[in-house]
Amino acid sequence: MKFLAILVGKLAALATRLTKTGSGTTLPGLMAEKIEPQIIRKIAERLKYGVIVVTGTNGKTTTSKMLVEILSEEGYTVLHNPSGSNLTRGIASALIHSVNIFGTGLEADIAVFEVDEATMPEATTKLRPRAVLLTNLFRDQLDRYGELDKTAAIIGNSLRGFSEMTTILNADDPLVSSLAKYSEGEVVYFGVEDQGITTDSGLAMDSKDCIACGHELVYEERYLGHLGKWHCENCKEKRQKPLVSASSIKVSPFVSKFELALPKENLKVEMPIPGLYNVYNALAAATAATVTGVGAPAISHTLRNCEAAFGRMELIEVEGKKIMVLLIKNPTGANQALSAIYSDGKPKKVGLFLNDNFADGTDVSWIWDIDFEYFKIAGSEFVASGIRGEDMALRLKYAGVDKKNYKLEKDINLATKELAKKLKKDEIGYLLPTYTAMIEIRNNFTVKSDELCNMGKVTKRGL
Amino acid sequence: MSYKVKLYHLYPDAMNLYGDMGNVIALAKRCQWRDIEFEVVDVKIGDSVDFSDADIIYMGGGQDRGQKIIQNDLAKRKTEIQGWIESGVVSLTICGGFQLFGKYFKTAEGEEIRGIEVFDTVTTAGDKRLIGNVVVDVSAATAKWAQKFRFKNLENPTATLVGFENHSGLTKLGPNTEPLGTVVSGYGNLGDGGYEGGWYKNAIGTYLHGSLLPKNPWLADHMIAVALMNRYGSPIPLDNLDDKLEEAAHKAAIERAKTAKTLSI
Repeated sequence: MKFLAILVGKLAALATRLTKTGSGTTLPGLMAEKIEPQIIRKIAERLKYGVIVVTGTNGKTTTSKMLVEILSEEGYTVLHNPSGSNLTRGIASALIHSVNIFGTGLEADIAVFEVDEATMPEATTKLRPRAVLLTNLFRDQLDRYGELDKTAAIIGNSLRGFSEMTTILNADDPLVSSLAKYSEGEVVYFGVEDQGITTDSGLAMDSKDCIACGHELVYEERYLGHLGKWHCENCKEKRQKPLVSASSIKVSPFVSKFELALPKENLKVEMPIPGLYNVYNALAAATAATVTGVGAPAISHTLRNCEAAFGRMELIEVEGKKIMVLLIKNPTGANQALSAIYSDGKPKKVGLFLNDNFADGTDVSWIWDIDFEYFKIAGSEFVASGIRGEDMALRLKYAGVDKKNYKLEKDINLATKELAKKLKKDEIGYLLPTYTAMIEIRNNFTVKSDELCNMGKVTKRGL
Repeated sequence: MSYKVKLYHLYPDAMNLYGDMGNVIALAKRCQWRDIEFEVVDVKIGDSVDFSDADIIYMGGGQDRGQKIIQNDLAKRKTEIQGWIESGVVSLTICGGFQLFGKYFKTAEGEEIRGIEVFDTVTTAGDKRLIGNVVVDVSAATAKWAQKFRFKNLENPTATLVGFENHSGLTKLGPNTEPLGTVVSGYGNLGDGGYEGGWYKNAIGTYLHGSLLPKNPWLADHMIAVALMNRYGSPIPLDNLDDKLEEAAHKAAIERAKTAKTLSI
């Protein structure tokens, strides 16, 4: 059956590519799994150094990408699933693609799979990973998953029964941290140790009460949403000491600098991608690499040269002007994007494009948890667009943005050009689209992300 | 004379899901734009709070965990809040807040979370989540309010409310609470496309997130108008605001409710 499953999977991949009906990233796996339900386990168990699974609300794609690059730098041959194909069929497709039709000839010796939160139970059962990395849990597309606590319980239960598996948790996220109790193997943590980046933005706090006793948590430092140095005064639950940590963090619109404390060594890291959320992604990837036995040089080299993942941060050129595109999908991500953009305290020209297709999340309520009131947006100019552009414009109006400083243009192409027109020569614009709006922008304008690294360097000298 | 509206926000931490904070922002802005002072008092667990100066009592939605955390504290405030609602204080409760203003909410695990019985409602967990855009016809309720309050904004009220529902609890209305409206598109209180929300005196409960009030500005204004009348003893005329964008967002939501597929998981 395995032979047939792989053959059919490969034929399906070929067929989708030949007929240009898709990229062949999910259908082959879907068909192969129907024929041989054990196909994932059978191929995965032959990976010499096993499988690392990355899950969580934000940062899965970027963290996986960083981890794949670190492992490759170290000399591993890494198999991974493409961004977005993070259900089991996507994983099966990647595995089938990696072998020949006889199921042999596997070149990869390790795999990194980004796994959708709801798919975790199936993924751990089939992949039996050596490590599971959990980035964070924020409210995200509640229309699809229901409540956050339920998502946490699903992930927690998927960790049960694997005594050989290392669980890597975000120490700063109380909800993520609470999942340690499900693990039957080793648990390690990563976290931020920095007093200089505390936020007092009050919105989008998703987990402010102690998971164990319900008492309100005390934060010595709060970095991002509900991530921080927390403890419960009632039941003594507290943040665990991280194995790998980041400190002395400095973010600007194009670069982030921090000190990375590995178990045996401290590194000074300068990454050409901005935002505290990307520091967390780097921290998560470095921890998973450390647990796998990778040394400091490969981690350091990779982080210095990394780029953001597909659509997460890209540069487009529109009518001779440069616009930085930062994907937004939930309030915490959007707050982080705004915090990166406004890290120099200057007014900006910003596009906010809100679609409500299935891939974006059909509920647009979350934009009211974007903390526009917190950022120094006075003097900034905005263009709202997308299927629910009216809702976004309304959010800006109620955030107190002056009528002359925001404009509604429903058409995404026209709105992008409108934003470009507002820019002075050499001024960078910022565009925050939801997923399907981002795809539309990528399809219609020239992506020049290779210039981002240079911009990072230019800005660095300027600072 | 300068006017004032004071809102008491019940459990802003535990009961703030799906952007329900937008309702408070909408009330605040629509007061400020008219030079009406707007004050918010956050009510947290254990706070000693006197509601006697409250014009509006507000509670948003929360997860089951949030509801469990607050239920004992809310129970201690039951008689007081009930009393103020009886005397005509304005109130808006969303989703989990609406459920807890009823008699009880029975969770999927069979656990009963006690409510404070402002509304004659009981809620039991259903076996699927009801998720999607909603349009509600509220003309029956507004006709009754228009008889009671002769406010300008109720003369020709927008007959619809728009929002987004995401609940598994099914809420049954008893004889002492009237439905806020009937579902034009969406699931509603019982998931059957029948009634949505409920009202009693000047207390309104609904499942609609969105946020609700920014896209339904006439309801925000109605709440402000009743609050002012309660505080100052006679109707205070509200200045007209430019609501073109609000109306456009309202229309876009109706359009989306027609085209976007609703989902139950």
